[in-house]
Amino acid sequence: MNEKTQLTGREQNAISRNGSERPAPRTTLAPAVDVFEDSHGITLWADMPGVTRETLEVKVHDGNLYIEAEASVPTPAGLRLQHAEIREPHFARAFSLSPDFDASKIDASLKDGVLQLTIPRRDEARPRRIEVRTD
Amino acid sequence: MSDLYSGADLFGEFARLQRQMDTLFGGFPSSLRSSRVGAFPQINIGTTDDSMEIVAFVPGLTPSELDVSIEKGLLTISGERKRIVPTGSGEIRTYAQERFSGSFRRAIELPQHADPDKVQARYANGCLTISVGKRESSKPKAITVQ
Repeated sequence: MNEKTQLTGREQNAISRNGSERPAPRTTLAPAVDVFEDSHGITLWADMPGVTRETLEVKVHDGNLYIEAEASVPTPAGLRLQHAEIREPHFARAFSLSPDFDASKIDASLKDGVLQLTIPRRDEARPRRIEVRTD
Repeated sequence: MSDLYSGADLFGEFARLQRQMDTLFGGFPSSLRSSRVGAFPQINIGTTDDSMEIVAFVPGLTPSELDVSIEKGLLTISGERKRIVPTGSGEIRTYAQERFSGSFRRAIELPQHADPDKVQARYANGCLTISVGKRESSKPKAITVQ
């Protein structure tokens, strides 16, 4: 699994920007995510290297969950980029959220560039066992 | 179409799709110079007059889990990222598992003028930044015209 990267310069305009007739939407990167559901709710992990708490925005709107963030890596002045696998430091991804989940109780934490979101299920949507009475 | 991908743009979605295909079909490169899209960690490289700056995007690791070494002009970044095991109660359903897990290794060939004795590495916010100094002799200098 050796990955060898030759240190030769590469043209930065390899990605062609689409025309100027309309303001192109900002190119963003969809972060890789892991999503699990258990009886309490949903847990989501998203890889967002270089993102800090200040530049991260998690919001819920019209039943959609939006994650937007801007990555920044401190670099010395006068840096010339030679090889870039991540070109656009803007992360954005949207998920549709079932009404079974309580969007007002989302818990978000960011550690080492990984965002962890826990979205609890509404109490009335939790699976539960119904006791059967015998008279 | 934009409704389908509300928020995220098409290029990003394509990149994600390609990542997904890469994980499905394992490590078969489509050509000798295979695309770097599926590689982990992704790496950006830049230079300044005094140094060469390498940034590896390795979120979710601790500095002790990362191994950075230089041997014969080859800078190697390796380590292992563990798969997240959900610990919830009841039946656990997996909706997406796109994040890389397993061991990784990437090597970068350093140019002749890199000085392996002047290397600094720091890890913050999921980014590993490695700064390799250049030899004095290779730094740009102005030559005075007599």
